[in-house]
Amino acid sequence: MTAGEPLHVRVREIEELAPSLKRFSFEPAHGGQFPTPPAGGHVMLTLRDGARVMKNAYSLVTPPTERTRYDIIVRLVAQSRGGSSFLHRSVVPGDVLEMANPISLFSLAATARKHLLVGGGIGITPLLSFLPELKARGARFELHQLATGEEAPVFERLLAPYAAAEEIRVHSGGRAAFDLAGLLARQPLGTHLYVCGPHSLMDAVTGTAAGLGWPKGKIHKESFGGDVSGLPFRAVLKKSGIEVEVGETQSLLEAIEAAGVAAPCLCRGGACGECATPVIEGEADHRDDFLSAEEKASGKLIMTCVSRARGPRLVLDL
Amino acid sequence: MSDQGIKSRPSYQPIAPDPAGRHHLMVVDGAEVPPEALAEGVTPSAFEVWTVARRSAVPGVPMMEEAAGAVRTFRSTPHLFSALEERLARETMGLRFYAVGPEPFLWDAYGIGERAGLSRQEMGFAHVGPKARRIFCVHCREVMEKVTTSIVTCTGCGAALFVRDHFSRRLAAFMGVQIDAEVPGEVPAAEELYR
Repeated sequence: MTAGEPLHVRVREIEELAPSLKRFSFEPAHGGQFPTPPAGGHVMLTLRDGARVMKNAYSLVTPPTERTRYDIIVRLVAQSRGGSSFLHRSVVPGDVLEMANPISLFSLAATARKHLLVGGGIGITPLLSFLPELKARGARFELHQLATGEEAPVFERLLAPYAAAEEIRVHSGGRAAFDLAGLLARQPLGTHLYVCGPHSLMDAVTGTAAGLGWPKGKIHKESFGGDVSGLPFRAVLKKSGIEVEVGETQSLLEAIEAAGVAAPCLCRGGACGECATPVIEGEADHRDDFLSAEEKASGKLIMTCVSRARGPRLVLDL
Repeated sequence: MSDQGIKSRPSYQPIAPDPAGRHHLMVVDGAEVPPEALAEGVTPSAFEVWTVARRSAVPGVPMMEEAAGAVRTFRSTPHLFSALEERLARETMGLRFYAVGPEPFLWDAYGIGERAGLSRQEMGFAHVGPKARRIFCVHCREVMEKVTTSIVTCTGCGAALFVRDHFSRRLAAFMGVQIDAEVPGEVPAAEELYR
């Protein structure tokens, strides 16, 4: 349920940036140009590994003005649930994949007087599409990227085209050596904060900012969904009249899709709220960033893309 | 006539410091914080307060204290606003800004806050004092202060203007629209509504 017809894209180049990082460059499979993507936008790839169908969202790292190719950077994670591992191991140049039109849930605030970007690891990807846009606007910004020692040179190279005369820093000394509170405390009025990375980093950044008095409306985060695995459970889809088993490493949404039910979804990372589904019975283990704490406590809705059941059974109005 | 049902007319609430804020700066168009400007149980000591004395004899400020409970007095509102611009230009995130006074003062303060990067979420306003309005003539762009009547003659173009509840935050003024545009000369009697 993503807006518009999907795009068919051909893999034109795969570049290994680091042992676990690959850049995939896509071109339109049938010629022509891609739609202009929003800065900070992401695309959803449909990956078919035999009978298994996976849908993964990746941020575009190419500038919004680039319409002849779309690039993404994919990290191969040890505990990959299939998508990233499939891209790293099985996809080769020339392959044609299905891609949903780019959308953005992480956009630059037009009224900001300054933009503060904080990335952690692969969370650099949406920030890479912000940089050319900020440069084009002549906007004031500052970027801090946290990286492991071995990946710091990779990120430095990716940031190099934008680094001249700008406050762009790669921190490889670990989270403890990064003076987050000092950074957030010295920002001028009118600064907007954007953070993308592991949940622990996003929680630390948003929590520290809130503690220093930053208003919610100036804190923006892009979630990659984090860990969706957990104990297996059974989901009863009342309207569809079927029951599905949700495996340990499978998301509830994936299990519903595997059963042939067209469930709503957009970001697949617990951020957009599109997949909100009413819960009739059972308790949800909420892992999304969309519902408020009160909404989570009321237990009336579940985000099927990242959340699971706290117990053996969940009855959904789907 | 006093409530025209126009949504842009601002509404106000007594002020309480936003618990999420790091520092709270309040500007008052008067010599003191009027008690009715504050929510129940809130005292001025929760804020750094800037007041307007409207006299030349104000205490000097050799060391400016920027802390809750500190009070700084200015000779006039332009005096306060000019210091406010300088202050906000060097402020950092976490500040909350509040204004207390008549509407033109509140929205002039809002404009300074907004230009400094503050969002509506970081500002609070309490309307105390006269209800007189600043009116913007939509025909000739003249701005008139202290209008208290439902109809006013524009000091710029002479048109008889109906004082609408339609409020512009950008101009910090209510809109005045010619009332006899359809039938020239048909001007109802003005009522005193905004005192």
